[in-house]
Amino acid sequence: MLCAQVGPEHGGTGLDSRANGELTARVGARCSSLRSVMTSQGMAAWTVRRLGGPEQWDTFLPRLTSGDLAAVGFSEPGAGSDLSAMETEIADDGAQVVVTGRKVWITAAHYADLLVVFGTYRGGATAVVVPAGAPGVRITRVPNPLGCRAAGHADITLDAVRVPADHVLGGTGLPLPLATTAALTYGRMSVAWGCVGILRACLDAAAAHTTTREQSGRVLAEHQLVARHLAELYVAERHATRACEHASASWDTGSPDMAVDAVHAKYVASREAAEGAARAVQLLASAAASDGHVVARAYRDAKLMEVIEGTSEICQLILAQHTRKPTQHTRRKVQA
Amino acid sequence: MTISSKPGSHTAETVAQEVQRFLEQRTKQTWDPDTDLFSSGAVSSMFAMELVVHLESSFDVVISGPDLALDNFRTVNAMTAMVLRLREAQP
Repeated sequence: MLCAQVGPEHGGTGLDSRANGELTARVGARCSSLRSVMTSQGMAAWTVRRLGGPEQWDTFLPRLTSGDLAAVGFSEPGAGSDLSAMETEIADDGAQVVVTGRKVWITAAHYADLLVVFGTYRGGATAVVVPAGAPGVRITRVPNPLGCRAAGHADITLDAVRVPADHVLGGTGLPLPLATTAALTYGRMSVAWGCVGILRACLDAAAAHTTTREQSGRVLAEHQLVARHLAELYVAERHATRACEHASASWDTGSPDMAVDAVHAKYVASREAAEGAARAVQLLASAAASDGHVVARAYRDAKLMEVIEGTSEICQLILAQHTRKPTQHTRRKVQA
Repeated sequence: MTISSKPGSHTAETVAQEVQRFLEQRTKQTWDPDTDLFSSGAVSSMFAMELVVHLESSFDVVISGPDLALDNFRTVNAMTAMVLRLREAQP
């Protein structure tokens, strides 16, 4: 269930992107922390599938479908939005590789059995599967995250960690942007559908509250300014859902637009979720102002969704780049 | 198993034509089979991903692991050779 798109041949349920999206939204409506763990697990599985070879699928995917938890490490102290600044190094040493580096804010790392760590390798980059208990691995939980507080965010230090060479996915150096884009595309789909869940939870809570609580002799929903907030919340949920459905359809039909549609869905859904959650707090007012309330959690969690798996600004840059048509004039300026 | 076990049959010529058609549609320019797409600067990481997914769905192959190396996508000829090799290896 945590990585439901893995096929039955590896012990998974083999859901398509659309069905997994609806599942992700269902979980995300209840708990964005659990949904974040799903995102990590699914992204780990997808990274193994995309960057690994068939033998590595057979080795690692059954572990991910049978209870082992996984986290995926991209961000570093000096490499957040600019992943090309990544310093984690995977170095050959006979039948082993040596992994050295630091990763920060890695979702689910506190719980993880396996760490899928991105780093440079043989002039390119790839990911390596590191058991969380390997000597030289130190995992330190982020003490007080703003949101998704049970998602097990942690910093990871890898001090000359030795793992078998066949844990290096693909066994070769790949172009870093391609390797990370491939993995992040799954994460973006999952976050986007999770944001749909946040919006559904906010809409349900807002509709329930504003149709039962009375002020000035009428239920809240009959006050026009309140009704407008409800309408906008409904539009936000529909808008995010449509963007996710479109991106999932691209994924499921193998459309070349899949990666860019995932960026679009993540951008739209996280923006709508952050605005929608703020609107829901406004509607519920003091009823939602205590920390554990579903709408209070949505408010904190949604803001993080505008940051994770590519900030809104990075998404905007990718989308802007996508609209640019290469011409003789710009061709030399656009970098691979 | 042979290449013909895949739905639709492809030769180097038909694969190259399809790749060139896709590139022209996406970049609004024509590409010689040996022109390096990446050194020309016309290709972003998103576009590289588009190429991967398009080749997979057009030719019914899985491109994973070491096959994602940049050299396999550098030219129309390189992509054609990879597609034909994968179609033979993945019956």
